[in-house]
Amino acid sequence: MTESILTVTIRSIYVSSIAALIAFLSSLALNAAFSRMSRKYVEVISGVFEALVGVPTTVIGLLVYMLFFPGGPLGTLKLLYTPHAIIIGEFLVALPMVYTYMFRHYYAMRDTIRELVLSLGCPEKKAFKLLLRELTPILLSAYFVSFSRAMGELGVALIVGGGIEGYTNVLTTAIALQTSIGNYEYAIQLGAILVSITIMLIVTMKILGERVLWRLD
Amino acid sequence: MEIRLENVWFTYDGSSYVLKNVNLEFANPGLYILMGPNGSGKTTLLKIISLLFKPTKGRVLIDNADFWNMIEKDKQEVRSRIAYVRDKPILVRGTARYNLELGLKLRNNVEVDKSLINNLVKRYMLEDLLSKPASKLSSGQAKIITILRALILNPRILALDEPFTFLDNTRTMLLIQDLAKLVDNGSIIIIATHYMHRDLRTRAKQITELVNGEIIHT
Repeated sequence: MTESILTVTIRSIYVSSIAALIAFLSSLALNAAFSRMSRKYVEVISGVFEALVGVPTTVIGLLVYMLFFPGGPLGTLKLLYTPHAIIIGEFLVALPMVYTYMFRHYYAMRDTIRELVLSLGCPEKKAFKLLLRELTPILLSAYFVSFSRAMGELGVALIVGGGIEGYTNVLTTAIALQTSIGNYEYAIQLGAILVSITIMLIVTMKILGERVLWRLD
Repeated sequence: MEIRLENVWFTYDGSSYVLKNVNLEFANPGLYILMGPNGSGKTTLLKIISLLFKPTKGRVLIDNADFWNMIEKDKQEVRSRIAYVRDKPILVRGTARYNLELGLKLRNNVEVDKSLINNLVKRYMLEDLLSKPASKLSSGQAKIITILRALILNPRILALDEPFTFLDNTRTMLLIQDLAKLVDNGSIIIIATHYMHRDLRTRAKQITELVNGEIIHT
């Protein structure tokens, strides 16, 4: 491999954080939009999203590939084998998981906060602000879940990114490539970096959750 | 302020009614007790009285005006005079103090009456708790914080669901005394409970018994 581990790591973080951010914002918008619908329909929609969590990333990669293939519906955009294609694919991988994660907490908390606000004789509109405040740790956690999912997936990055060194090579594709050519030591180093980033995120989230976010005054 | 329930019915699922043709009146300041076994509809009734739930059928009259037909501004004016404390305490992120002052903060009441809060905190021996995160409070501590949070608002109608659960004897007695003071100041206190404290019985203006969603005795 001609490029440094640092470059691959930075590219991975860049691609995954943007994909995670788009998935996070989309989930927030979807949850807000669906919250106005009847609970019955929202449950059905959420069931679909829950089912989508289990879709293999290679299938999503294939779908994105077919979209951006030169003869495909979006082929003229020439996004195939670019970091943008990986971002779109990883966004689709992360979206069902982050939506489902957010949905469970959002609905559990929404009714409780509404009741609290009204029971204190305050206008219902105050509930949204308080709900957002209450959901802050969950929202942060949802973003990290989304990021971890995007960072750790291989199918999309390989199919629509192609693992081109210096351009679309990310940690997971680099690990696959190095393993396939028998460079196990290098692959293990890359794997360790990937796992370390995930662990660091979880620890940061826990510290934030326990020491900061629950102690707001 | 008076509140009257006329032919109130309520269902959660659209088929089985948890309240059936309830007629009740809280016209004068006093301590009103709602009694009944688990699942008799006390909590639902209390939430209708507190204007959190709209009855499936029937009317809730506030000073002879149908609350659920009022314009939003009037509804809010009425709601600002009512407080409800549920049986399982709801605390938000932050310290016990933040939670204690939450009602005032939500009402943008920046001129928080610190002396009132400090007196209550001292009286209920909560000084050491105030800086604790709400998530670390015991059930009894959480309960008393949520009750005091409502008391601080000085509501004209205060609805309390099982207020004495988790409370020790000392705090139970203090609370009964403070509720009595609130009544003396012209408030209506409505308590749903299945535990009738002796002091509560002697101070009660009216005791209503609810079984299977129907009032069997007032």
